[in-house]
Amino acid sequence: MSPAINLAVATAIGLGLALALRPRTGWVWRWLRSRRATERARIEDALKHLYECEYARIPATLDSLAGALEVGRDEAARLVARLESLDLLTSERRRLALTPEGCSDALRVIRIHRLLESYLAEKTGIDEVEWHRQADQLEHHVTAEEAEALSAQLGNPRFDPHGDPIPTSDGAMPVRHGMPLTDLRPGAVARIVHVEDEPDEVYAQLVAARLSPGVRIRVLDAKPERIRIEAQFQEHVLAPVVAANLTVEPLSDVAEPLVSDSALSSLVVGQQATVIDISPTCRGAERRRLLDLGVVPGTVVRAELRSAGGDPVAYRIRGAVIALRNAQADLILVKRHATATDAAGTRV
Amino acid sequence: MMDNPAVTPSGESRMHNRAQLVRMGIDVAASDYVVALAGNPNVGKSTVFNSLTGLHQHTGNWPGKTVTRAEGGFEFAGRAYKLVDLPGTYSLLATSADEEVARDFLLFGRPDVTIVVVDACRLERNLNLALQVLEITDRVTICLNLMDEAARRGIIVDSARLAEELGVPVAPTAARRNEGIGGLLRRLNAVASGQFVCQPRRAGALSPSLKRVVDELSDVVASAIPDLPNPRWVALRLLDHDERISQALSSGELGDLGRAKIVEGAAANHSARRAAARRAADEILARADRLRWQAGPDFHQALVEGIYVEAAAIADRVVRRDETRRSADWDHKLDRLLTNRWTGFPIMLAMLAGVLWLTVTGTNAPSAMLFDLLLGVVHPALKSAAAAIGLPWWLDGILIDGLYLATAWVVSVMLPPMAIFFPLFTLLEDFGYLPRVAFNMDKMFQRCGAHGKQALTMCMGFGCNAAGVVATRVIDSPRERLIAILTNNFSLCNGRWPTQILIATIFLGALVPPYLSGAVATAAVAGVAMLGMASMFLASWFLSRTVLRGEPSSFHLELPPYRPPRLWQTLYTSVIDRTIFVLWRAVVFALPAGVVIWLIANIHLGGWSLAQWAIQGLNPLGALIGLNGVILLAYVVAIPANELVIPAVLMLTALSVGMTGVGAGAGVMFEADSVETTGQILRDGGWTLLTGVNLMLFSLLHNPCSTTIYTIWKETASAKWTLLATLMPVALGVTTCFVVAQIWRLVAGG
Repeated sequence: MSPAINLAVATAIGLGLALALRPRTGWVWRWLRSRRATERARIEDALKHLYECEYARIPATLDSLAGALEVGRDEAARLVARLESLDLLTSERRRLALTPEGCSDALRVIRIHRLLESYLAEKTGIDEVEWHRQADQLEHHVTAEEAEALSAQLGNPRFDPHGDPIPTSDGAMPVRHGMPLTDLRPGAVARIVHVEDEPDEVYAQLVAARLSPGVRIRVLDAKPERIRIEAQFQEHVLAPVVAANLTVEPLSDVAEPLVSDSALSSLVVGQQATVIDISPTCRGAERRRLLDLGVVPGTVVRAELRSAGGDPVAYRIRGAVIALRNAQADLILVKRHATATDAAGTRV
Repeated sequence: MMDNPAVTPSGESRMHNRAQLVRMGIDVAASDYVVALAGNPNVGKSTVFNSLTGLHQHTGNWPGKTVTRAEGGFEFAGRAYKLVDLPGTYSLLATSADEEVARDFLLFGRPDVTIVVVDACRLERNLNLALQVLEITDRVTICLNLMDEAARRGIIVDSARLAEELGVPVAPTAARRNEGIGGLLRRLNAVASGQFVCQPRRAGALSPSLKRVVDELSDVVASAIPDLPNPRWVALRLLDHDERISQALSSGELGDLGRAKIVEGAAANHSARRAAARRAADEILARADRLRWQAGPDFHQALVEGIYVEAAAIADRVVRRDETRRSADWDHKLDRLLTNRWTGFPIMLAMLAGVLWLTVTGTNAPSAMLFDLLLGVVHPALKSAAAAIGLPWWLDGILIDGLYLATAWVVSVMLPPMAIFFPLFTLLEDFGYLPRVAFNMDKMFQRCGAHGKQALTMCMGFGCNAAGVVATRVIDSPRERLIAILTNNFSLCNGRWPTQILIATIFLGALVPPYLSGAVATAAVAGVAMLGMASMFLASWFLSRTVLRGEPSSFHLELPPYRPPRLWQTLYTSVIDRTIFVLWRAVVFALPAGVVIWLIANIHLGGWSLAQWAIQGLNPLGALIGLNGVILLAYVVAIPANELVIPAVLMLTALSVGMTGVGAGAGVMFEADSVETTGQILRDGGWTLLTGVNLMLFSLLHNPCSTTIYTIWKETASAKWTLLATLMPVALGVTTCFVVAQIWRLVAGG
């Protein structure tokens, strides 16, 4: 055979494989997913949607259900009939409402979903934007016993990484406090208590801006068309639709002043600073590691060396010289000492 | 679960838990006392270990873990001591496998004494670990090491005051100079024998509200298990949600919960007692769950902060600085030179090139000597001895031409380069240079989702991939460690350098005038090595974004102070731990391979030997990717060691073409007298320039040798990752060779 034909055939095979195996959108994965989209998954997704509508006090309809599940009206109608026959749902004049059994089933699914999100956040390295999607897929395959084991493994958490309350195993739902970010006035200081993880595009923006529960923000400017805030020494301009996905709890600036003035990564070699806090965005193994190394509030840190590649910078932390990447140092909030020589009375 | 405190011949009490220790694989039969050696990384812990045990030591792994363990024994004052070296850790809060191992040993093994080695120059940081150890066990002796370095830096530590503060004996030492070891032994003995009763300092600084929560749970635990030495620590761990401790509580490993509960019920049988223990454990865990919410989500941080605050306060009281003594500035100057943007990389490349050059050139003489001895003298001698005792030809073939020859080959080619490369590497490591390399290189690795320390395991792979895979233990983040393991094979190892040099000389060196051929061959080999690094980066990038996306990841890298390397210790560890370890595994795999190679050349089916059948069968595939059946078969049978590829290729070529006058018969691997002869044999076997180039590529990009595959399996404990590490390079190699062959033919019109 001629080499040209060989190459062409091989390229075709390679492309075919790439299309079939491409992460998430590959044919193989799609086929596997469609096989997993069982009746149980449909029912559970429907219950979740109905519960969320009730929680948010939005009327649930056949159309909203079809939209949330990405199915046609006919399929949605079939599902509603099925749920009614299972006594999980009542429909009166087009409005769908959960029965008490439906409600408790929905809470069970939501519990599993939020536990899974907590697990993905604390115990794996999976990217933040994918927690929700992965949990959505996994939640239909978790048994009640597995959910309890997962909860125990995580130390029975009460809130998921987005700040959503996790229903307890007997179906109680803790209440969420706070107000939408859009209600704050300029100059107000607040702490984020909840980040809505849907829709994907908006959530990805919030993740990229490192706005997660626990982060403190200050509103710089609030106009109807955009809101300008400062969080962790960075300025963010948010469209109202994005800002509305953040729930915050106002803080009185006097009680909890923002004492840190920069991120550790902003230090130049030779400069010293005192650690104020580690950003809530830094979690799981990464956070524990930093704490173990002595990056705790009150520690005096000095930038010692910048590597030849420029990125990790070595800091003197409680006697040892430890290199941290800039992406990590961005999440360590510090108060800079006045000058590099202002070392009197500090331990390095 | 717990056995009763044993009693030594003289009537002193021992507290170590024999049953648990045996489960951890530690033989304590001949020892009176078990001593654990704990400490931060880079505090000279292994020097202390060596000073105490001398050569009475051996290394292995913790059961079920890829964490190295050293243990040894010594005698003092008529008592036999067992010394167990724990992994160097910053803390015992079990963030990593190392910390878990150290923590479990102290908690469940209950050593009679724990020596905590602390660095006198960095007392505050080191006290963090010491205070955590004191929470778990009260029988502690502090070894205040590196007193010489502290004196040089003008740091004065009041060791008596420190002993007072901590409530345990403190022995100042300079283990590198063997100073203070006697004092350490005396204090150790006093604690072990009970002459000195430790009254350890406990309770780190906690806010009153947290302290209330901790005390409440601590009381519950203490009343449930009255003989528990560390109820406060257990309470802290339960509040911090430490799964292992909850588990240990439920399983009864921490202590028998049934005993206290069942005293009332006189007719207690075994199962009732078990049920009572379970109920008691569940009650404690439920209580801990409730209290955890009072403690709040930041409990862990408050806990760590409390210990550090305490450590700082103690350090403040016992450390004085002699301001007249300037601290060692040359450290800093050297650091600036080695990590500078302009000088850092050239120095690094020069070092690497130097080490490789020393290895390649230094290998020639000893390798030739071993080769002459094992293959030139011993092999014929064995043959004639076999003939003299009338061994059947096939047994002679299997044993001497197969088994012995392959093993001798592997030893003579593998041993010298490793015996040169590993000590050099270990010296650089000991001096403290290697962490700086990782520091400089991290940016490139970070972009591929890998760890800077992978630069070191990659360099180690230039010596031997199996050793490189073991070396990935220095990477303590799971995702990055897996990446380093799976891509180590892209480092061109010692076993492949000779093949590369030989083929480059024959096929590429011949293209240019003789005076340039050496340079061209060297450049080609360097090019292949670079291609290997490029593949490593590419594969790392790919893996971190696909299959390894979900593995947890974290980064930190300590840059320890520079210290003069210890020659003898370096030689010992690099020869015993690395060279002999790898060589042993290689020999084990080479033995059967030798037999297989001989057999396939000597078992005939329908007029052809098995080898000829296989070559015929593989030829079409070989042709498609610009190689041939002989090469593919050689790579299959030479899986145990890349060193065997060229001898196997020569033997199989001679066999398949039916050459006479070369080699020593079917199934007997050989090496031609000169490069020219080798070239002639290969050309007679139908090799072209393309075959040569593709062989070089395939030699770089193919499955790891079986020693490495086995090592990967041991290190990852996963068939999935082992399979991926094996197949990924083959797939890449076949693809690359295929594309090169087709384009070559397209361009050359062949």
